[in-house]
Amino acid sequence: MSEQGIPSSFRDPSGSLFLREGVLYRRVNKIYQEHYDHLLGSRLYETLVEADLLVRHEEMEPGPAEPPQSYRLIKPEVIEFISYPYEWCFSQLKDAALTTLQIQELALDHGMCLKDASAYNLQFRRGKPILIDTLSFEKYVPGRPWVAYRQFCQHFLAPLLLMARTDIRLGQLLRIFIDGIPLDLASSLLPWRTRLNPSLLVHLHIHGRLQQRFGDKSVEAGRRRLSLAGLRGLVDNLKSLVKNLTWNAGGTEWADYYQDTNYTPEASEDKRRLVTRFVEAVRPKSVWDLGANIGLYSRIASSRGIPTIAFDIDPAAVEKNYLQCREARETRLLPLLLDLTNPSSGIGWANEERQSLASRGPADMLLALALIHHLAISNNLPFAALARFFHKMGRALVIEFVPKSDSQVQRLLASREDVFANYDQPSFEREFGEFFTIECAQPIAASDRSLYLMRAKESPA
Amino acid sequence: MRFGGFSLGFILILTCFLLEFAARPAAAYIDPGTGSYLLQFLIGGLLAGAFMVKTFWNKIKAFLSHLFRKP
Repeated sequence: MSEQGIPSSFRDPSGSLFLREGVLYRRVNKIYQEHYDHLLGSRLYETLVEADLLVRHEEMEPGPAEPPQSYRLIKPEVIEFISYPYEWCFSQLKDAALTTLQIQELALDHGMCLKDASAYNLQFRRGKPILIDTLSFEKYVPGRPWVAYRQFCQHFLAPLLLMARTDIRLGQLLRIFIDGIPLDLASSLLPWRTRLNPSLLVHLHIHGRLQQRFGDKSVEAGRRRLSLAGLRGLVDNLKSLVKNLTWNAGGTEWADYYQDTNYTPEASEDKRRLVTRFVEAVRPKSVWDLGANIGLYSRIASSRGIPTIAFDIDPAAVEKNYLQCREARETRLLPLLLDLTNPSSGIGWANEERQSLASRGPADMLLALALIHHLAISNNLPFAALARFFHKMGRALVIEFVPKSDSQVQRLLASREDVFANYDQPSFEREFGEFFTIECAQPIAASDRSLYLMRAKESPA
Repeated sequence: MRFGGFSLGFILILTCFLLEFAARPAAAYIDPGTGSYLLQFLIGGLLAGAFMVKTFWNKIKAFLSHLFRKP
């Protein structure tokens, strides 16, 4: 039976993830035996799993072909959709940070400590962040500082601060810096007044400076120790700092979209009815709503128990959507940040550590509502390119055609030359027809728009 | 002279102070960063004190609220 290694699982010698016949396993190595036994023996594992803070796993019988370094073989619960910190809104990253700190507190209660604090070790499951790396713990060594303090600050604190205090878009720096934002860079980008806050001064500005100063030095420890109270104090201080960080998701172009649309109540109701009809006809196992805004139509799918991802380019829309999900304890909807004109690519080592959007698909159904004019006109994308992209991403497509006569399209054309001679419904149907079978086309009442249900062709022309 | 909000004097004093008890990060699969270790040693005492005061205060608050909840 051949094993296929998971490309992101190479850093930690404690174990590794692999797929065997499509099933995900984690091999725990002998080098980690003492820590793994303590994780289970101290009941930390049980405590975290019961609190929905760590993924559950099942211990498997090791096969005869297990390598000699193997201690245990476990089968962890699988997360439906892997998302990355640069796809999260402010509050998602903040919740992931607080979850990490809560786990660290519980670990310390059980004589263990987090040996890494990577934001990539957290995933959203049923609407809440959860740790997916069972091997992130080590036995607490009295006097030893927190090994993952620097990583926590780079993966969580620096991006959260930059988003809250400088510009929300700076969260995208996580796409460039795979191990979190360097603290000296964050320090230079933050407003000067952040130095007046003692916690920020220490955890970010002085921390960044010390890293620059001592980055390449290894010097003797002497008798210095960090007491357990000091370590708990550090975690508690970080927790207070993160808890108090806020970002107000108001006043962006898209977050007020539903208040600023040209739909009449009748058109809006008809569109909702048609989307519902198409979703019920296809009964997809997964839905990606592209350009979902605050998730009005995504909820047609998610409220029917269908795992749904609501992608949007606007951090404010994703933030509002996430806060709504959190408040209503919605478990089937995951709002994520995505620029469709530059979707997440494969990054990290060999471009494989963090997967591209395309390699996490295809979805059973795509929703592309009130979207095509933005891509075709604002981004000059021909229908053929759009059809090819959607074909790659989804098996069924619910797409809204917005004609040139529509006031929203007129708005896009107001400040530029109309070079879109082929932007019309017959061209749209012809080009999409190359990749999809058009199953249904319905005009939306009281509007010039139409809604289509299409199925991807097995082998497009 | 100022560097990013800190006076040169402050930085020198801090550096000398830190070099007195500089640390060697213990074996870990991620780089804990020498500067991050030093910082934890530097602020550890203060954070421990603050944490103990906070814990003690929370206990007092819990005790008082328990006291007043009694009929």
